[in-house]
This record gives sequence, C-alpha cells and structure tokens, in this order.
Amino acid sequence: MTNAQLEIQIIAALVAVACAIPGTFLVLRKMAMISDAISHSILVGIVLGFFITQDLNSPLLILLAALTGIVTVVMVEYIQKTNLVKEDTAIGLVFPALFSIGVILIAKNANDVHLDIDAVLLGELAFAPFDRLLIGGMDIGPKSLWVIGVILFLTLLLLFLFYKELKLSTFDKGLAATLGFSPVILHYGLMSVSSVTIVGAFDAVGAVLVVALIIAPPATAYLLTDNLKKMLILSSFFGVFAAISGYWMANFLDASIAGSMTTVLGVIFLLVYLFAPRQGVFSVMFKEKQQQVEVSLLVFLLHLQNHTDPKERHVNHLQEHINWGKVKSKTILNLAKKNNFVTIDANIALLTPKGEEFTAEALKYITTNEETAIEGLKKRFFLFRG
Amino acid sequence: MKEKNYAIKIDDLTVAYNYKPVLWDIDLKIPEGVLMAIVGPNGAGKSTLIKSILNIIKPIAGTVKVFGKPYKQQVDKVAYVPQKGSVDWDFPTIALDVVMMGTYGSLGWIKRPGQKEKKQALEALEKVGMLAFKDRQISQLSGGQQQRIFLARALVQNASIYLMDEPFQGVDATTEKAIINILKELRHAGKTLIVVHHDLQTVPKYFDWVTFLNVKGIASGPVRDIFNDDNLTKTYGINYKVAVNK
Repeated sequence: MTNAQLEIQIIAALVAVACAIPGTFLVLRKMAMISDAISHSILVGIVLGFFITQDLNSPLLILLAALTGIVTVVMVEYIQKTNLVKEDTAIGLVFPALFSIGVILIAKNANDVHLDIDAVLLGELAFAPFDRLLIGGMDIGPKSLWVIGVILFLTLLLLFLFYKELKLSTFDKGLAATLGFSPVILHYGLMSVSSVTIVGAFDAVGAVLVVALIIAPPATAYLLTDNLKKMLILSSFFGVFAAISGYWMANFLDASIAGSMTTVLGVIFLLVYLFAPRQGVFSVMFKEKQQQVEVSLLVFLLHLQNHTDPKERHVNHLQEHINWGKVKSKTILNLAKKNNFVTIDANIALLTPKGEEFTAEALKYITTNEETAIEGLKKRFFLFRG
Repeated sequence: MKEKNYAIKIDDLTVAYNYKPVLWDIDLKIPEGVLMAIVGPNGAGKSTLIKSILNIIKPIAGTVKVFGKPYKQQVDKVAYVPQKGSVDWDFPTIALDVVMMGTYGSLGWIKRPGQKEKKQALEALEKVGMLAFKDRQISQLSGGQQQRIFLARALVQNASIYLMDEPFQGVDATTEKAIINILKELRHAGKTLIVVHHDLQTVPKYFDWVTFLNVKGIASGPVRDIFNDDNLTKTYGINYKVAVNK
C-alpha cells in the first residue's frame, strides 16, 4: 500500500465518521432529506468562495459554503411556514434553484476555474493526496485530510458537550423548550454542523454521495440498536467500513471510489434490513408466524374449555369445524401436547389442569385488557417457544 | 388575595393562528394547591392554553404570571406532561432514560446526569409502578405505560405546578387509577395541578377545581360551586345533563 492510498483511506474514513454523527440526529428527527438540499445548494457557496479565495480548501470558502447551507434550511422552513406547500415540496423547490445557479456559474467560468460538474457530483477522492498542506515549506499531509480532521474534531467536541441537549430536543422538543434548552438554537446548531461537514466532505465524495454517507449508516444502525450511543458508534463503524472496503473495491474494479463506497453502504443496509435479529424482514416474518400459531393454540384451548361434548373435542373436529388444514391442526395439537395443556384419550382431547390455568389467564387478559395480565402471558408464551 | 398566592394568573391572554383567535381574552386565576381540570370541546384551545402558560406558544396579547413572575424566571417550578402522541416512541432509548430527562432542567447546559439523577428517576419510576420496566425500550411499552413514564418524568422535576395535557387519553382503567392517585397525592403535598381533561363524568370525582373553556373563558372555580348544567351548556353549546349537583 502506497502512502497516497493510505491517505485516501484515512480521509474517506474521517469523512464517514464526520457524516455519521450529524446524520444520526437528522435521521431521528426525520430530516434526512434536508442533507440532500444542503449538499446541492452549497455549490453556489463553493463556487463564489472559490472566486474569492482560489483555493478549494480555504476556511473562508468552507464558511461561505456552509452559510449557503444554513440559508437553504431557512428558505425551506420559510416556504413551508406559508402552509402553501409541504416540506418535501419546499426542499424540492429550493435546492435545485440554488444548485443550478452554481452549475451556471461554473459553466460560465469553466476556463479558469478548477472545478467541473463530475467532480461536484462524485468527488475527487483519488486526487486528494496531491494537494498538500505546506507550513514553512514543510509537507504535513494532504489539505483535505486536515480540513475534514478539524471538522470531525469540532463535531466530536460539540457532540460531547451537548449530547444531553441534542438527545432531549430530538426526542421531545416541547420538554426541551420548557426546561430552557432552546430547540431553535439546537436545531440551527445541528444544521450548522451538518452544513460544515457536508462542505468538508464535498471535495472528497461530491454532492450526491455525501447524502448516502449521512443517511445510510444511521439508518442501518437504527435497525440494530435501541440505544442512541450505540447507534452513533454503529453508524460511525458502518461508515468507516464502507469507506475502506469501498476504496479497495474501487481499486479492484478500477471504478469511482465514491461510487464504490456508496454501493457497499447499500449492500450493508440491505443485509441488515433482511437479517437484523429483531426488526429484520426475516425475523419479523418468523415472529408473525409464531404469533399465528400461538393465537391458534389459544383458540383451540378456549374451544376445549367451552365444550364438554366429546364430539366437539374429537381430534378430527379441528379440521372439520374449526376449519384448519391438516398440517396446521397437527402442529397446534402437538404444541398443546408438548406443553402438557391437553391429554388425548381415544382421539378425544381434554384440558389438563395446566391447560385450564393457562386458558383462564389468557381469558383474563382478553376480557380485562389489563397490562399486568399480558406481561404474564407474554412470559408464558416465551417459555414454550422453540 | 395578593397576586403571589395565585399559582398562575392570566390576564387578557389572546392567542391567534393567522388571524383566527384560538384563545380570546382569557382571564384566569388559579389558586395554589388545587387539582384543576380544564374542560371544553375539541378546538376550545385547552392545549394552547397550557402551551401559552409554558411560553411554547407566543400570545399576541396578555400576560401570564407564575407565582407573580413571568414563566421564564420560574422555569424550575413548572413541570409539563405533554400529550403522549407528541413524541416519537421509536426513539432509541429506554424508560429510565426518558424519566432522567426530567432532571436536565436543574442540571442546565452541558452538565451530565449522574448517580443522584439516576436515583431520583428510579424513585419516580417506583412511584408510578413502572420500576420493573426501567430498562424496557420505550416502543415496547403500552400506551398506559408510556403515559406513566411521562408522569414519572414530571415527578423528578420536583416542581410546584404540574401541567398535564390529557394524561388519561388512551390508557386502561388500572393506569387511570394509578395516575389519579398520584395526582391526589401531589395535591396533598401542596402542589398545583392543571389537567386537560375530556371525561366530564369523572370531573367531580377526580378534581376540586374546574375551568370551562371554549376559545373564551366560560367559568373557573371550585367544582362543587360551578360544575353545573348551566356552565356545561354554555361551554359545549348543547344541553348537558351530567352535573351531579342542584
């Protein structure tokens, strides 16, 4: 691995973490798409900043561009407040307008500006190691590494200081306001951090793909944890993993680095979406199946309790009257037997005392709808699962 | 009575959303130590009244005084229990953590909650009968349990005034009983409780003070004096025959 390769991977990893942190809060606040708006409209700020500074990594340019991001948020909210259009429409109105101004500005000055549309959309991570930061003639690394490093450090510092406030205002804006933590300040604080991060990441991954780094890792982590701290750590991990494996995939395929990173993110999300232990598609399907069986078992037990006539309790009756298929009848019967809820004597089912007790408990829940009852029942069900 | 003896004193309060008044020229004096219901039809401005007391909504006219001072100077004396539906219960956190949020106000900016705050939260959870659920993910709680978590969160604020927005909405009978018992306990401890309430039948049983509201203030006073068909009819606009007195 050459030095340049290592530098690219470090930059990509730092960008991923810097995006995952504000991204987590944006996803939880259901504002993920505002990052799309910011990432596009900052182009105007970048182009104007570039005209002034002639340097893509200058702090002034970053501040100017981030300011455009905040202006975008304000404009979206202003349009939304008129109640004439909904939020998603407002986002769709604002950012293409600002983005296209940026595109025109680049096209008009294409000759003397080192910026092209491809780079704007997809980033130029591969070129990052060529632009060095020199202090007193000494080379201390790529400029973009320093830029994103400083942004990440500030993000982490702010997260550390205001974690409690961010959590509170994300979960319950009303309480935050009554306790004296202004939701407006926190909202714009988060928006500022997001804007600065997006500007810093822009050079590396471009306008389209920075959105993936902000949204995909938190969305994936959200499926795996119910703890905010773990969600932040997991999103950062997924981001870094995608950054590094994406780099090597691009190397192998000789393709775009940002494109490969995003592909990896998509694949990770898909895998987690399908296989997450609690909320994954397969796990939910399995649980629903289980619930159906459990409810059917209850129906069967209630039926036995309601009817004393042996004809009603005959095993074949399950198929004939309750109208269940052969396989289902057999499953339910076996489950009931396995848990010692029933005994079968000459094909006539009879509730055991344990079965009686369980049915009574279930009935109590159904008729009273009391929460304590269902807690007990859930535990009981859990006992004979699997 | 001097101004200080009122927990909350509202003068000429008007709140409007785009020209349409939601609350119109409200004058309201709530004495300290009452358990008060705010009743009125849908759209009467009950939640808005609570939110304007808390300064979440800015009125276009009028003043609100909490123990004789503006709310901003009395933040730590007021606890708020919002409607259960006002937050996203899929938020990644557990019951204990939500209750601890009640301590954030006294902590102020930056400072983190520690052992002392955790102990307070556990005590509040025990009071509302939710200690066994302290580590439960909040989306895994039933509606009644979520409401009790909100109540516990208000309890740790250790305030003098509790404002509650429909705490009995969508909860089962057990929870309703548990909540009202806690409210009565708080009143015995000298706290002032202001509750947006929907079930008129239970007003005389649960509350000792009542405010009738329908955009304008209709009446406010002790339940035994003013909870009658006359005021109910004025508030709801149709003939009501639920009041027990007279």
